[in-house]
Amino acid sequence: MKPAPTLSTAFLYPAGQSLPKPLLALRKQRGTALVDMPLPTRKTENWKYSSKYLKLTDDMAISLPAEGKTGSSLAVPGYKVAFLNGVMMPEACEYPDLDGISIQSFSDLSDEEASDLADRLDSTLDNKAVQMARLNSARFEDGLLIRLKPEAVLDQPLFIVHEVTAEASGSAFPRIFVDAGRHSQITLVEEYISSGSAQVMVNTVTEFNVTEGANITSIRLNMEGENVQHIGSTGVVQQRSSRFESHTVGFGGPLRRHDLQVRLEGEGAECKLNGVVVTQGKQHYDNHTTIEHVAAHCNSEETYRNIAADQSHAVFNGRIHIHQDAQKSNADMNNKNLLLSNGAEIDTKPELEIYADDVKCAHGATIGQLNEISLFYLVSRGIGRREANVLLTMAFINELVEQIPVEAVRETVQGRLNHFFEQTFQEA
Amino acid sequence: MLSIKNLHASVEGKEILKGINLEIKAGEVHAIMGPNGSGKSTLSQVLAGNEAFEVTEGEITLNGENLLELETEERAREGIFLAFQYPVEIPGVSNLQFLRTAVNAMRQHKGQDEMNAAEFMKLAKEISKQVDLDPAFLKRGVNEGFSGGEKKRNEIMQALLLQPKLAILDETDSGLDIDALKVVSDGVNALRAEDRAILMVTHYQRLLNHIVPDYVHVLAGGKIIKSGGRELALELEERGYGWLGIKDEETADSSVN
Repeated sequence: MKPAPTLSTAFLYPAGQSLPKPLLALRKQRGTALVDMPLPTRKTENWKYSSKYLKLTDDMAISLPAEGKTGSSLAVPGYKVAFLNGVMMPEACEYPDLDGISIQSFSDLSDEEASDLADRLDSTLDNKAVQMARLNSARFEDGLLIRLKPEAVLDQPLFIVHEVTAEASGSAFPRIFVDAGRHSQITLVEEYISSGSAQVMVNTVTEFNVTEGANITSIRLNMEGENVQHIGSTGVVQQRSSRFESHTVGFGGPLRRHDLQVRLEGEGAECKLNGVVVTQGKQHYDNHTTIEHVAAHCNSEETYRNIAADQSHAVFNGRIHIHQDAQKSNADMNNKNLLLSNGAEIDTKPELEIYADDVKCAHGATIGQLNEISLFYLVSRGIGRREANVLLTMAFINELVEQIPVEAVRETVQGRLNHFFEQTFQEA
Repeated sequence: MLSIKNLHASVEGKEILKGINLEIKAGEVHAIMGPNGSGKSTLSQVLAGNEAFEVTEGEITLNGENLLELETEERAREGIFLAFQYPVEIPGVSNLQFLRTAVNAMRQHKGQDEMNAAEFMKLAKEISKQVDLDPAFLKRGVNEGFSGGEKKRNEIMQALLLQPKLAILDETDSGLDIDALKVVSDGVNALRAEDRAILMVTHYQRLLNHIVPDYVHVLAGGKIIKSGGRELALELEERGYGWLGIKDEETADSSVN
């Protein structure tokens, strides 16, 4: 029997040493723990459909150099933070001194602040479930720490651009930690883009500590190139009466994986998770979400839609775990899927674990194709077949796109999706 | 304008139309009446180019051009318009977007500039008033949550926007109360023009009180078995279809929707 593949030791050596000592120590410790880490295979339950897309060669182990220029593809008003290959680029950042809000590079933290952060990194994630996030913890070279004091409100969205420049093979490990004080509010947009064409991996971790009454909106746009394997993990811990809203829009790639874990730890906390994924060609995208209803009286609402064309492959795995004490939980999960060709594949799996007896928990999943009668109706009005197909495909996800609360982002996303579907239906 | 010769068509291997002959000239209004299952809706769908129906024999020309060689969207751009018996609901596509896309597809075909959002909105609001639809409906999904009457008025609104050469109205009166019937009829009458023909397909003659046809044809068993003037419709109203030797299968399933 072939031994299970393990992570190559080449991946265990971080390059940049500019972090404060406590974070360097943490990184070293996490790295040691990764020796002989088994890589996911198709027998690994939560990587069953995606392990075959994961291709880590030793030349991808080196850290991509943090030099060059970066720029968002979103021309939108708001505050900006730019990361290049996992390292913050101060000259490309634009935000004023904000009352009660600090936005800092990990590298700029004092030893005391770094020590405090080191104690909290990874605390929002179940590392058993997100094996690949551990690689980020062993390799991150910089990161963004956002701290909101109680009652602090960021008056405009904060755009965080994560760009990788794939001039040569390598990897980048961007990291964000958001510490939202009581009743604070922030809207954060993470945009992942790339340039260059070498084989690279982006391994991201974003964590949100959402304290009592805080209100977070997180938008995540995954728009990297065909040469970028993306493995992202987001962890959220919510206290009493807090709210977390996320909007994920993902375009397929050679490997796209996003794990989103939300723990509702305080009574009355609520989360709303929306996701839109589109794939074409031989692309892949895998969304794994987990919502832990730990405390009573929490609400979760989750809506994901996948659209797969050509020979592409989309995966949705939605887990809801209602703990024994989480009475009066209200959980609603819905996943609808659209197959645009016979060769495309979508795997969807709801996983419900309910240990409390007084809860409302609804889930639904459907897979379908475009409706021929709707198509006939549109073309009978003179609308071209391609345009009609694009309209109907957009219609499948419009409801979610329209909920993206930042207008400029919404419009950009609509444009990108339209363009994507125009490519999809080029042949038609 | 429209010439149908010996048209045979089938759906799922079953022959529904068995040799239709019909000539319609510009400016004329024709009504096709007949019992359920006689092939009325099939004829409408075949004219519009629904691929679920296979034309096995015969020809259809529009101003001399072979319609059967054209795709549905090309027929529409050449001036064929079908008001659906059951207009389709498409949540996620707004009426405004749908109507503007259709109008601009037509304009592009004619070599005209596309209408911008503001221009189109102005036009759409005017015409929605003409068919008594609240302009707020423009923002809603196509036919989404519309009542039967609103859907039919939306069909007529589309005809008014697209200004077809031949408007085919498939059971446009079904499901309308008397007020809605008036609004729809007024809309259709507004469409009447010297360079346009209208083909109404209907089970009942009540619509013909509001939209007076020049010719009435009776379709039964996939063939036109009798043609006449307006008085033929009145006679059918009075005597039913029985005197023509056919059964009016009121309760029989229509072969298509």
